[in-house]
Formats: sequence, structure tokens, C-alpha cells
Amino acid sequence: MFCEKAIEIIRELHRMGDGQLPAFNEDGIRQVLEEMKALYEQNQSDVNEAKSEGKSELIPTIKFRHCCLLRNQRCIAAYLYDRLLRIRTLRWEYGSVLPTNIRFHMCAEELEWFNQYKKSLATFMRSLGGEEGLDITQDMKPPKSLYIEVRCLKDHGEFEIDDGTIILLKKNSQHFLPRWKCEQLIRQGVLEHIMS
Amino acid sequence: MFITDIRKEFYDVVVNQRVALLVSSEIDALCACKILQALFHCDQVQYTLVPVTGWQDLGTAFLEHKEQFRCFVLINCGANVDLLETLQPEEDSIFFICDTHRPVDVVNVYNDTQVKLMIKQDDDLGVPSYDDIFRDEEEEGGNDSGNESDGGSEPSGKRSLITLTFETFHFRREILFDYEQYEYHGTSAAMVIFELAWVLTKDTKDMLWWAIIGLTDQLVHDKITHMKYVTDIATLQRHVSRHNHRNEDEDNSLSIDCMRISFEYDLRLALYQHWSLFESICNSSYTSCNFKLWSMHGQKKLQEFLADMGLPLKQVKQKFNSMDMSVKENLREVIEESSNKYGMKDIRIQTFGVHFGFKNHFLASDVVHATAALLESTEKDDSPGDNFIKALDCLSRSNLERLHGGIDLAKKKLMAIQQTVASCICTNLILSQGPFLYCYLLEGTPDVKLFSKPMALTLLCKYLLKAFVRSTRNKRCKLLPLIIAAPMDVEKRTVIVLGIPPESETSDKKNFFGRAFEKAAESTSSRTLHDHFDTSSKSNVIVIVYIFHKRADMTHYRWALFSIIELKMEDRTKFLDALITLLS
Repeated sequence: MFCEKAIEIIRELHRMGDGQLPAFNEDGIRQVLEEMKALYEQNQSDVNEAKSEGKSELIPTIKFRHCCLLRNQRCIAAYLYDRLLRIRTLRWEYGSVLPTNIRFHMCAEELEWFNQYKKSLATFMRSLGGEEGLDITQDMKPPKSLYIEVRCLKDHGEFEIDDGTIILLKKNSQHFLPRWKCEQLIRQGVLEHIMS
Repeated sequence: MFITDIRKEFYDVVVNQRVALLVSSEIDALCACKILQALFHCDQVQYTLVPVTGWQDLGTAFLEHKEQFRCFVLINCGANVDLLETLQPEEDSIFFICDTHRPVDVVNVYNDTQVKLMIKQDDDLGVPSYDDIFRDEEEEGGNDSGNESDGGSEPSGKRSLITLTFETFHFRREILFDYEQYEYHGTSAAMVIFELAWVLTKDTKDMLWWAIIGLTDQLVHDKITHMKYVTDIATLQRHVSRHNHRNEDEDNSLSIDCMRISFEYDLRLALYQHWSLFESICNSSYTSCNFKLWSMHGQKKLQEFLADMGLPLKQVKQKFNSMDMSVKENLREVIEESSNKYGMKDIRIQTFGVHFGFKNHFLASDVVHATAALLESTEKDDSPGDNFIKALDCLSRSNLERLHGGIDLAKKKLMAIQQTVASCICTNLILSQGPFLYCYLLEGTPDVKLFSKPMALTLLCKYLLKAFVRSTRNKRCKLLPLIIAAPMDVEKRTVIVLGIPPESETSDKKNFFGRAFEKAAESTSSRTLHDHFDTSSKSNVIVIVYIFHKRADMTHYRWALFSIIELKMEDRTKFLDALITLLS
């Protein structure tokens, strides 16, 4: 049946969980494009025939093939677009340099798109915050304050902050520290952010 | 030295620095800490909060942090002992102490540079004047002539207090003795810090609520007199009306979720709105002692009381929130009227309550009980640090489940206290040892683990004494103080001993126990450890334990009045014998 290959490649993409990028299914796309080409050519000849000889029995077939073409087009567009969205989130997760195994899964055009996206994002970030720009990929949620209160969950020993002072992180002590220094430790699970 | 302008001398100094907050494990201290934290958050003062449970903890915490911090703020610890000598800090460390323990050590009062006391000078202190107690060996240029005025005249000239080391001091024994024999508590630390917030006009309703809880803690654990409580309530009432006045000005009234504090003249029944009325009456010390609920006769009287008020038993035993509205309507007045007939004249007490949301209504004493239960919870895997954190959390409005958990624990605690008191009275566990009454809780007693903590043991002790006074016929026994001992740590075989002064109507919450007991511990070579800052409300120091820092030239015994000590189990009996001999 027509359009089955298209559905198959979409299913394959859907099977991989959120955010993961499977290898680009060159083969599948090519097959779908070939099917579309074949359908189009058949339609072309039938349309000519119907026009010249006035055979209106061909019209349902033509319509049917047209629908299949549209369907294939839509499937491929969805496939490509979904991959692009996943690649975009990769930029926010991994930073501007992607790990090599992921790069292998991207086709040349996708790499090209990724580079363009990176450039756009960088220009945008540079335009924020006056002269220096603002790295918005740093925090997971927009920060509400410069300093946050954190509680120490385990003994971590000494910890140095920007102005050189050292803080002793002992279990059950609470501290009020600059946000950017604590992010790393919060991710590691040593500190816990307290919201009162 | 005393700080006169708390904003300039304390807040403006710390706002530009990093501060170490050392907070004692008491509810008043927790409340003061919350208010101060909120202020620091506003002004982005970097701080580190360290809970301390006793002198040892304080010493360790100080040692760990002394490299990194110059400013230390001590809440409810440190005022009643010579701080500089205990901690041996560097020259540039500054200590800001907000402590309710009195008397304030004289060295702390007269130190100009390093120790700053956030205590109002008129707060009933009676500190002896400088010249009365310090006399310098080399008399330089007629310095002694001069002010007899109170409030510490400072030595003129270049001599600073640091050069006057303790070897050159000559304490006038009697004056110092008189000053230090009484131990009591002053204004709540939470109220002092709230006043700071008010002066900065950064006070919020949350902070006011915490100040109220701090004050109520002092009442619940019997640390201040009723007069002082009423005076402080009046102060807070002014703040409450000021905050409430803001609400009424607006055209649209505030949403239900906003916090509203209201003044209540409410019943002295612990947790009654979160329990059933019947349970609350049975487990509150005031009602239970008045009815003598450990006896059959008392139970009957209670039934009579309920019948007198016209409250059906079924209603009274139900959860308070599910009682009929018709019954709840004038409940307070009805109870007050009937209690007057049964000899309970002050069943109602002035306090505050808070509303936020439709469901949440708490009285200040409810929160105090809940927090105390969390602070001293004896569940497994709960270190004192963990308990401190949980108790601190439950004071925030966003942690209601913790608060409810605390209320459940408090109910268990109150029931355990009630049962222990009942069993002690019925089995005559309280013995008169001559100069005092004595009770020892055996290891197998149910819930005895709860009583290894000072606050819970204090509540039990007071309750027990009240109950005993009501149940005994011996007139002499009614005037005796009570000492209670309970096993503290079964593995280490230690016992916690606590003493309270005799029960009296007009107690001024200051007490002095006749003699120096240092000798008692020494003479029997009992292995004792005094670690607590003295959490018992008013003095009642029974044993003076030799503090670890010894003054080389002490010609008199320091009468450190601490009511709680830890002992080794084996030493208990001989220690008590020594006490008896000393006190008689």
C-alpha cells in the first residue's frame, strides 16, 4: 500500500524517546521520495489522458494518487521538522559543541542548520544585557535573585567563592550564597535550594 | 557592651560583611533566626547558619568557622558566660549576642570592643557598676574616684579592657555573688530582632508572627512571669493592630489566602483546636492538675464539669473541627464560666492566632508545641541537626505538612507526659529526700526516651510538681523543690538530672538555691557534664557544675546556675546523697 514507508520512518523516530536523535534514515527518505516520484509520473500521464481524451473515469484515481502524494509530503515534513526540534534542544543541553556520536546521526543539511542556529543564538545573546551579552543557556529557570539560600545535605569540606572567602560546608548548615556558585553543587546534590 | 542603637551599631555593621549565625536549639532562638534570615535575604547579606545545642557545640562551631568569618551573631547562647575566655577568639572577631539568659556575665557587659549585647539596658538587669567590681592593681592617676553611676563607666586613659586580664581583676565577692545568684530569662530574642526589623521598616506579618511564637514559647515553657508576658503581649498587640489597620484601609479586602493575625483571649488548653476537646482537657497540665485526673474522683469531676456546661460527651470527644456549630459558638465563655466554679480562675489567656486560607487556623501555643516536639523528636535517624532543620522549616507557612506532623508528635508527647505523671503519682514514685523531692524514671518506663531531652523533661517536671502539690497532704512537702532524673543515653549510661524550684503562686521566676554545689560534684568525683545553656525557665540551678574553663585565681566559687546536668548512671546515688547533705 502507498505511504507505508513514510509511516514507518515516522514510527521509528517516535520510538526513540524524547530528545534522543536516531540516525538519519537516508534510505527511508529516498524510498518515500521515489514512491512520490512514481505516483506523480503516473498522475501526470493520467491527467494528460483525461484532458485529451475526456476519460473522466480516471479522475478518482488521480485524486487518490494526489492524496497519497500529499500524505507522503506531510510525513516527510513532520519527520524532518521533529528532528530539527530535537537538534535545537541538543544545543541547550550540550552547548555549542556536540559529541561526535550525535553528529554522526545528523545529515549534512542538519549540521548546516545547527551551525546557523548556533550563530543566531549567539548573536541574540550578545545583544542582551548591554555590552557583554548574557549567557541564557546557563540557568535552567530564570533566576529570581542574586543570592539563594542553600542547605548542605552532606559534608563537603571547604568551598571557595569568588572573592576568595572559603566556606565550610558541613551537614545541616545553611548558607546564603551567590546563585551561580551554587548551581554546580545543587546539580551534584550536595546543596539543596531552600525556598521559604 | 550594650548596643543602644540596634540599627547603627549592629545592622549597618553586618550588612556589608559575611556573618556566621550560631543559633541555639530553642524555639525562641529559631524564631529570632527566621526573622534575621528574612532581613538578610532582603539586603543580600551572605551568612552561614550553624545550629548549636550546647557549649561544646558552640566551641566546635566557632573553631571551624573562625578563619572565615569576622562577625558572629549568637542567638540565645553566650551571654551568661565569659565569652572571650571560653572561645579565645582573635582580636578582630566581633560577637553580637542576642540572648535571653540572665544574668549577663559582667565581663561581657564591660567589654568595649569585641562583645556587643543586643539587650536593652533597662531590661531588668541590675548589672553592678564597673567600679564596684573591677579594681585595677596599679592605680593610675586617680581613676577610681568618680562615677558611681550604673551602666559601667569606662576607665579613662589609654588602658583598654584587654590589658585588664583576669589576673588583675579583683572581684568584690558579695556584689558579684548577689548579681549572679539569680538566673532568669529576659525579653524574647525574637522580639528584639523584630524590633530591629520594625526600625528598618522591613517588618512583615510573617516576622510579627514569629515574634509572637518566640514570646509564647517563653510562656509555655514557663520562662517568664505572667506580668512580663502581659506587658510583652501589649507591645505585640500594638504591632498587630498596626498591621491589621493596613488591611482595612483598602477598598477591596484582602484575599482569604493572606495571612491574618488576630488577638485572642483563648483557652489554656493545649492544641484543643487540632484535637478533641476532651483529649485536650485531659492532657493539659492546667486542667489536669486542677481536676486531679489521675484519680477516679478526678474523672468524675471532669464528667460533672462537662455536664455542667451542657456539652454532650459525644460532641466533646469528637475532633474539634467536627463539633456542632451550636456547641462551638460560645464555647470559650461557657468554659470560663464553669471553670470559675471549679476553681480554675485563669483558664483563658491572652494570645494571638493566625488565619491563612480557609482551613488553616493556628494559635501561637499550637505552633510552639509542634515546633518543640519536632525539635526534640526521638525518632530513629534523627540527629539534633536534622531536628533543628525540621523545626526551622515548620515555622514557614509553606511547610504546613511539617507543622501538622509536629502537632501529631506534640499530641503524643503530651499524652506521654500525662501518663507518666499519672503513674508517678499513683505509684508514689516521688520521694521526699529531706530538702527536696526526688523522682527517678526507670529505664523501662514507657516513652522514657522522650524525656531524655531537656524541654520535654522540664515540662514533665513542672507538671509533676504541680500534680504532686495537689495530691499530697503533707504541708511541708508542698514547699519543696523537685529534682527529676531520667536515663539519657542507654549506651553511654548517662542520666539527665533536672531541678525546678518549689511551686508557688507568686514566683518571680528567679530562684536561688542555697549553696554552691561544685563541691558536691567534686567531692563525690562524679563524672558530670554540663553542656546546656540552661534551658530551664527560671534559674533553679540545682547543681553548679565546674565549667571546663577554670579561672586560675578564683577565690570564690562561681555559682553557675544551671538546672540541667548529665551524669553517669553509676554516680547518681552518691551525687544525690551529697546534694542532700549540702542542702539540708
